[in-house]
Parts: sequence; C-alpha cells; structure tokens
Amino acid sequence: MEENIQIEQALANIGKLVDNIETVIRGKRQQIQFVLTALLAKGHILMEDNPGTGKTVMAKTLAKSISGAHGSSGANFKRIQFTPDLLPMDLIGSHIFDDVKKEFVFKKGPLFCNVLLADEINRASPKVQSALLECMAEHQITMGETTYPLEKLFFTIATQNPVEMEGTYPLPAAQLDRFFIKIYFGYVDEATELNIYKDYLGIQHNQDNLQQVLSMNEILFLQEETEKVFIHEELITAVKNIVRDTRSHPDIVLGASIRSGITFLKCLKAFALVNGRTFVTEDDIRGITFAVLDHRLIYRNRDARQKALPLIISKELDRLSKLNITINRTAFAPPVQNI
Amino acid sequence: MSIGKVHNIKKMVAQLVLLAVPTAILFFYLLWDINRFYDILENNWIRQGIYFSTGIVAAIIFYAFRFRFFTTAAVVFLFCYACYKLVGSMSFGEFDAFYFSIQFLIFSFLFSVGWLAGFGFSRSRYFTIAWNVLLLVAQIVVVSKTTDIKVNVLINAFVPILAYAFYIIYTAELIRNMNDDEPKFSWFILKRLSGFAVVVMLLFLLIFSFFKNDFMAVEREWGGSEAKYEKGKDKSENMNKKDGKGNVSNKDQTKLTGSLSKDKQLVFVAKLDNYFDDNITPNPLYFTAFYYGKFDTLTQTFEQDSLMPYNDLFSPDPSKIPLYFSKSDSSVLKNSFATKNRKVVTADIYKVVLSPDVYLAPSTAFFCQPMSVPKEFKDQYKSSYRAKMWVSDLNSAYFIYNPAGNRQLAAFQELRFNKLREVKKVTGPDKKFMDYYTFMPKDEEYKKIGELARKVTADAPTQIDKMIAIRDYFLSKDEFDQPLFKYSDNPGIPGLPSANKLTYFLFENRKGYCAYFAGATLFMLRSLGIPSRVAAGYLTVDRSSKNPGWYWYYADQAHAWVQVYFPEYGWIDFDTTVPDVNTQQSPQPDGTPPMNIPQTYLVADGEIKSIDVKAKQISMTITKLLYHDKDYETKVAKELSIDVSIATISADTGTVQLSALTPGLHITAVSYSEALKNILADKDDSLASILKKLPVPTPVDEVKLLLKDEVKEQQKQKEEKAKEPVDWAKTIFYLLIGLAGLLVLVFLSPWFTWMYFNAKAKGKGNSKAYHSYRASLYYLNQLGFERQNMGPQEYAYSIDNRFGSSFNTFNTAYQKAKYSSVPLSASEKEVLNNSYNGFIKKVRSQVPLKTRISKFLNIYNTIHFFTQPKIN
Repeated sequence: MEENIQIEQALANIGKLVDNIETVIRGKRQQIQFVLTALLAKGHILMEDNPGTGKTVMAKTLAKSISGAHGSSGANFKRIQFTPDLLPMDLIGSHIFDDVKKEFVFKKGPLFCNVLLADEINRASPKVQSALLECMAEHQITMGETTYPLEKLFFTIATQNPVEMEGTYPLPAAQLDRFFIKIYFGYVDEATELNIYKDYLGIQHNQDNLQQVLSMNEILFLQEETEKVFIHEELITAVKNIVRDTRSHPDIVLGASIRSGITFLKCLKAFALVNGRTFVTEDDIRGITFAVLDHRLIYRNRDARQKALPLIISKELDRLSKLNITINRTAFAPPVQNI
Repeated sequence: MSIGKVHNIKKMVAQLVLLAVPTAILFFYLLWDINRFYDILENNWIRQGIYFSTGIVAAIIFYAFRFRFFTTAAVVFLFCYACYKLVGSMSFGEFDAFYFSIQFLIFSFLFSVGWLAGFGFSRSRYFTIAWNVLLLVAQIVVVSKTTDIKVNVLINAFVPILAYAFYIIYTAELIRNMNDDEPKFSWFILKRLSGFAVVVMLLFLLIFSFFKNDFMAVEREWGGSEAKYEKGKDKSENMNKKDGKGNVSNKDQTKLTGSLSKDKQLVFVAKLDNYFDDNITPNPLYFTAFYYGKFDTLTQTFEQDSLMPYNDLFSPDPSKIPLYFSKSDSSVLKNSFATKNRKVVTADIYKVVLSPDVYLAPSTAFFCQPMSVPKEFKDQYKSSYRAKMWVSDLNSAYFIYNPAGNRQLAAFQELRFNKLREVKKVTGPDKKFMDYYTFMPKDEEYKKIGELARKVTADAPTQIDKMIAIRDYFLSKDEFDQPLFKYSDNPGIPGLPSANKLTYFLFENRKGYCAYFAGATLFMLRSLGIPSRVAAGYLTVDRSSKNPGWYWYYADQAHAWVQVYFPEYGWIDFDTTVPDVNTQQSPQPDGTPPMNIPQTYLVADGEIKSIDVKAKQISMTITKLLYHDKDYETKVAKELSIDVSIATISADTGTVQLSALTPGLHITAVSYSEALKNILADKDDSLASILKKLPVPTPVDEVKLLLKDEVKEQQKQKEEKAKEPVDWAKTIFYLLIGLAGLLVLVFLSPWFTWMYFNAKAKGKGNSKAYHSYRASLYYLNQLGFERQNMGPQEYAYSIDNRFGSSFNTFNTAYQKAKYSSVPLSASEKEVLNNSYNGFIKKVRSQVPLKTRISKFLNIYNTIHFFTQPKIN
C-alpha cells in the first residue's frame, strides 16, 4: 500500500505542478498538461508559434518547478539558443587538452542536463538539429570511442517559429517524429490577455520565486508509473483504428506509422496520469490525439489539416461512446486486483 | 507538346459508357421515330444515329483534354460549313449535288448536336438539365404536329425521354462527383447505378401495382381494339372498321379528321319488308348501328355512350344466339317514346363482310333471330339474321334524303313536314332527357355555332321548319352561285392543331363528309334546344327494280346522320349531308338475292357429345329444341343422334369441315328433311317425347357452330369490367390516411426511441449505468445539446454549466466504471445507480414544454444521434 500512497501523492503533486506553472503562464492549462504528458511519457516536446507567446517562459517555468529556484537538489536545467552558426560541438561538448594531465579530457556540453530548452530549433543548421535529435532518441552521446550516457531524466523542450518565417531550416518529417508531442501556443483570449497586462508585475514575481513542487525522483517514479497506467482493450483498438484511419483517409497523404501508434499509447497513459487518473478514458483520446499525431501527418491541403484528424477522432469517440463495456460492475461486482 | 487532361481516362470511359451510349441509343430511337414523319430524312435513321454518336463520342474524348470550347467548336463548325458549301458547288450533276448537300447538311447538323452534347457532358455541370429540357421541348413540338394523338403515341414519345432524363441527370452528377483516384471506381459506379436502378424499378412496380386496374382498363379501351383498325400510319378516318379477319362493321367512334377512306366493298344485303301503302313500291329505310350520344370536344370524336338515358338501342350479338332462336327486348320500344305512325317491319340481313357479331337494323329494332343461309348462297353470304323493328313511316329514306334540288323528292317530303308541323311544342319526356340531348359544350366556338343556327332559323316557326332551314342552309349558294357547302372525303384540317374542326367546317372550309354535316347539324339543333343525336349506320339506296325490297349495301354507304326527337313520333331521321356524286354512282347490284329459304322442321341446340367421322353421325346433348316452329326446353339435357352426311357445317366465318367439330362444342343442328314433315308433335309433347318420335339418326341439313368459349370469355370480361371502376375518392382517401399514418410514425419516432432508452435506463441489471448514460446522451441530443466533437468530460462540463446539474459526477463515475480496473467506491456506485432520474428531471424542468415538443418532433436529431461520422 505504500506504493499507492506514493502514487496518490505524486498525482496530487502533478496537479500542484500544473497550478504552479499556471501562476506564470496564464490561460495555457492545456499546453501545460501536454508538456507534462511528454515529460511523463519519457518523450520530448516541440512548441511552435510566433515569437512572444510564452514558449520560452513555459520551458523555464517547468524546469524551475522541477528543479527549484536554486537548482541544487532538483533537476538540472540548461538552455541553448539555436542560431545558424551553432555547431554540434556547442551542444554535446568537446575534447579539450588538459595541460596538467597531458591528455584530452571530455568537456561536457549543455546536453548533459535534465531539462533542455532548445530555443528556436529551426534556426540552427540541419547538422546541429540532427545531432540534437539523435541524442534525444538514443539517450547517449558517442564521441570517438567513448560513449557518454545522458542523464536519467532527460527532457527536451524545443521551440520553433513557424517555418514560413525568414532564416529557418524546417525540420524534416522524420525528425519531427522524434517529438512525442507538438503543440501550438497561440494567443490567449481577450480577458486573460488583459489580466496578464494588469498583473505583469505579479507574474514576474511569481516567475522569480517559483517553488519546487515535484522532485526529480518523483518524476522518475511517475515515469515508471506511466507504464503501469491501465488501458482498456477497446481503447487500444481505438488507437489502432485512429492510426489506420489516418492512412486510409483520402485527404492525408502520409498517415501515422506504427512507431507513432506506440508513442500515441504512451502519451495516452501519461495524459491520464496528468489528469489525475490511473486509467485511460475517452477524454484522453479526445484530448491528446491531435497533439500527438498532427505533426506526423502530411495533408493534401490546408483544408484537410483542419478537418481530417478531428473527423477521425470524432468517429472513434462516437464508436467508443456507444460501447457497452463495464469492467467495474456497478452491482454485485467482485473486487478487482490492484494495479 | 503534351496537352493537359481535364478528366483522367477512367472518368472519360465512364462518360462514354454511361452517358454517351444511352444518349446515342435514345437518339437512334428518336431519329427512327422522326423518320416516320419527315420525308427529308429518307428513313436513314441508322446512319443518322451513327452521325450523332460519332459527334458525341468524339467530343467527349476531345474535351477530356484541356481544349477550349469556343475555338475548337468554331473550327469544327466552320469546317462543316465549308464542306457543305463545297459539296453544294460541286458540278457533278445538279441533282446529285443537291442530294449530297442535303445529306451533308443532315450529317453536319446531327454531328454538331452530338458534338455539343459531348462537350456538355464532359465539361458543364448543368448541361444535362438544359439538354433534357431541350429534348422534351423538341419532342413536345414533334408530338403537337401529329394530328392523331393517342395514348400510345404519347407513351412512345415521352416515356423514353423522361426515363432518359432521370437516368442521365443522376448519372452525370454521379460521375461528376466521383473521386477518380478511387481505386474501386468502376465498382463504386456499378454499385450506385444498380442501387439507382433498383430504386427506380421499385418505384415503377409500386406505381404499376397501385394503378394496375387503371392501366388494364386503359389498355383494354385504347390499346387492343384501337390498335387493330388503326393499322399502319393511315391517319384518315373510316366510317367502317375492319377486324383482323377482314370483317367490317360500323365504328363505335367516329372522329372528325382530315380525310375519309372509302371503298366499294359489298358489306351486306338486306331484304326489307317495308312497302308504301300500295304494297308494291318498296319503302327503304336507313340502317342504324349506333347512336352517338356524346361528342368528345378534345379529340373531336363522336362516341357511343352507355349512360345514354332511355336507351333505345337494341344491340344483340347475332353470332351468340343459336340458329333460329330469337332474342328480343321490349324495353327499347318503351324507351323510344314512339306511338304515332309506327308499325312492325321485318328485315332479313345477309352478311357478306359485315362482322358476325354486328346487328344492324332500321330504328327502332327490338328482335333478332339468326337464320341459316340457303345452301347455294353459302359461299356468298356468311350468315344472316332476321330483325324486327318498330318503324315510323316518316323515316322512309325518301323522307330522309337531302333532296338537294330534286323537286319531286322535295314535294314528297312536304308530306312529312306537314305532318310534323302539327307538333308545336317540343318537349322530352323529362328534364334528364332534355338535358342530355340538348347538351352543348360551353365554349366560344360552340356559341358561334349557336349564333349561326339562330340566324339561319330566324324565320322558322316550328321545330321541323327550323330543321328544314338548317338543311337549306347547307344547300344554299354563295354570291357566285356556287354551293356554299361541298361534300368532300378529304376536307383537310385546320392549320392549328387541335383547333375546333366543326367551326372550321362551318365557317371556313365548308367541305366535309357526313360526320361533319351531322355534327354541325347536331350542334345547331341543340343550340336551339331541339333534342337530337347522331346516328351511325348505312344509308339505303334503292337501285333494284328486279327484286323489289332487296337492298345492297357497300362500304361507302356507311353514313352518319341526325335524329331529332318529336313527341309521340319518337326519333325521326334527318340527313343534311349534301349529295356526293360518288355515293350516288355505286355499282349496280349484280347478285341474286338468297331466295327459297326452305321450311325448317327441327332446330336442335346443344353440345356435341361424340362424333363418328366415318358414319358422319354426331351424338349431341340438347337443351333447346324448335320443332315445327314450336319451342321446347328442358333442364335435363337429352341425347339426340344426328346424321350429318348431307349437312353443311358452318361457323360465322364460313363453311368448315366435319373434322373441325370436337366434343364439347356448342352447335345448332337444323333439319329441312321431308322425313320430319309428317311427324307432328302433339299438344302435350315434351322435348323428351318429341325426341322419341324422331328417326335415329335424325337427318340434318345444317350444323352451325357457336363459339362457346368466346361467350364465356366475354362474360368474364364483362364481369371484370364491372369490377373495374376504381373509386378514386376512396383510393386517395386511404392513400392519404396511410401517408398521414406514416408521417405521424416518422415524427413520433424520436419519442418512441426516447421511451425505449428511458425504459432501459430505468431498468435494473449490469448495464444500468450504460443505459442511463445512453439515455441521457439521447435526451440531451434530442433537445439540441449535441455532443459534437467534445470528449465525455468536456461535454459533461458544458451540460452542467447549462443546467446546473451534476452530470459530470455521473460521467466521471461512468468512465471509471467503463475503463478503469480500480474498484468503484460505494458513493460512485450510488451515483451510477441513482442519479439518472434526478438528472433528467433537472434538465426537463429547465426546458419549456413547447421547446421539448418541437425538439422531439425533429427527427434529424435522432438520425444524427445514430449516424457515425464517416471518413470520405
């Protein structure tokens, strides 16, 4: 039962974490949840939108909430601003000649951290991009003959400006696939925006004095727990249906891969946890599918981007809502085993 | 250079197969149809159809590529025009050039039409509609040009085009909306088209099964008989009709048309036992077949009317009456209202080509007795009958003839006129009679006829004077001293289709045959309030001095005239048709009348039991017997053996062989044998006792075959006809009730569905939570709060916001029950089991009853609830 108490505590802390971040990033609860989902699913997240919508602040706030203001006991947070002249060495580190030992020693780059904010990732050259993405996938860096593992908790928050803007190198589809979730920030609604202007000092204060609400251990624990989240067979079928529908939809040129499907499952579980549940429901499908799958698909046209995926989701939700399944018999039910 | 495509090959092929081919087929049909009317086309419909098909196929293929229309079409048309000019100016024989240029003109016209159609199918979306409208309009023009519109003409003209229109609009739209990347393109189209076909077939079947009776009735009335005597494309009218075997009879309809065909065929011969007071001078009478009570103004046709009040037409079928047995009807005498100047006259009619089932006699006939034709005349006359009628001596043909300047005749007719002038006041027996026989169509055209009649009869004091005035009007001369009205078998038709032919005849053309004169006279009389009708039959001409009382009737003597009612005198014949030279010069009768009819001693009527062909003996069971002119009848059929070795065996169609007789057939055996002359019957003899007296086998001279089966069939048909009238009001009423019921069911279906869900939700069991959830969703959906794309929780929040309910609590518990493996807490179970009723009540209390009712009548919400969103 000890474990259970822990998980309840951890779930409560996730709620707190969301609230904590929301004191700084107003009106972005859903985006915060997505970020946490990516974190718990051991993935990475890509945020895209126009400059000045709060992407960077979000990443910093998350890092601080995990690591605390002083970064001692908590997670290690690093930030790299990507520019066209950035080199892979600047990310992963390089061998430097040690005058004392008379040998080359490896000087670790900013990648060796817990939370990495890769700002404006699409402004760097493809070489740098691929170096980063490889590390994200492999969780290790190989330099010459030596392989250096990354930190146990390694979470990348990449941000990018819309590709149409000048001086950008758009990420190829294969690399986009490495990001579990891609979210669009977008502008907040009118009332929230006014609220932000009125209270910008308070927000600044909150940002400076963020409290650590979740320890790194707790996050690692939650990452483990994510794997154990219960997902009903029908929901797995739903995942299968959605993924396959993206391939057969006439307006989608390139559908989701099997790897995408697995990522989708992981994200579903994580999203359930972020929402304080230990089981996946229809709401999770409704909530996460677009964020997980959208950037993996190539659409026929702009109009298709608006309609195709929502339609597929809506079709599947309709199917699920009509299912008459009950694991928990409301009456005369035998007790079910713990997770 | 490669040219871009508008349609890919699949779409093009679909257009060719599904649009071009049916259009070409329709055009083949239309061209075939039009070829019958227009000489210029020269019956080359196959070649012309190919021209069109070439055009449409070429255009569809051509415009599947990215060609512009105006330039390309202009090039094609210019090319055609240039070729036409070239052909026209070629100097190889003037006639050939003209012929070829006409042919080429037809080719280029059809090719261009095909080309335009092909372009339209290929590129334009709304072309199909315009195209079908064009075809329909063209067909309407063609049909309006036909003078003789019948049901089957209309059906042939419009049904194919209408069917084509439905098909082509549907298919064109289907092909247009096709996604041509679809891997199963052809399968998809096949599926859709067969589905469409099934729907259309069901529709047709439904219509057919619903209106089968009416179709059958129309078919019987118009299809069968009409088709028989409207053979070929003969559009002229004939006063006689011919059936398949060449038998002639008066038509039961006479239509006013452009021309009348006549021939000189001998139809029948009659001996009329009617003489003037000197008992030597024969007094001929017109022979009546029908009275036309009705005139159909739409089709300009005189028709028989079975609903004629006081029906005084006796029309038995002589072929269905056993030989020497008679049939009479005294009700016609009563209905003729004739008391003065009447006497009973006998007539013997010998049919040559006259239909066996036709009964003709001077009016008013009431008696019919089929007789055998003497042996030596058997080849000449097929059958004969004796008729008796109640004849007015005022109906002498000499009284009826239009004197047309013949002074002797006119003076003679004064006798009749003087007698009829005594009738001052003309009234029918009752109002119904008067209303029927003075009925006029309410129409400007007929008012004009009335005006003319009043003008013509302005000075006439009595009814008969008015009649004479009208007759004299037809005989009057114009300012050039030419007859105002001329007899013509080919009066022509008015320029406007469906214009009133009677007014055209009276005021413009002034040429016509008897039906025109009779029709015009009829309406002139009726407009003056004089009860009158048109009679059809044969006019009698006395050409024989050798055999007084015998009259020969040729096909061109078929005639129509007017009968006018005089109180007490009854219906008086009246003929206003101006003389036609041709009718007067019919061939002189050269035949000898059938004389020396032997005395019949025995007539036995019954069925053949067995036939001995070798011994020429027949054993028959008889029920009726005429013996020495005395009638015997029995209910129990008796057997009689007859010797037919010298007998002539005949049917209505003529003499037949003995082998044609089979057991079961109905025959009448007649004996003139001297052997029977002295075997007399006693007063108290019955049929059985007479049979015992007869020699075995009894010699018989004549056997007449009656087609018994036909009688039964006709009876059956009559029964069917009796069943036929469809009560339209009732049918429509039931149809409406059914429709209303269906509508109510449809509109109540949401409510029924809700009752079902509600009942399920209130039930007990493992699925209670599920049913509660479904019922709630349905209820909310029906009230207009759809889930749309929301997740369950999102939706629950929005519902709670709207109604202040606690649906989310329920939803959370439900989702947990559905997807979680964690056991539910007691409170969650409680929520699942018990919150449903409260929730529905809460929602209900916040939606006004009016809104709820209107929302629950909306079946779209229900349909929407059950339809799963579809990809594609």
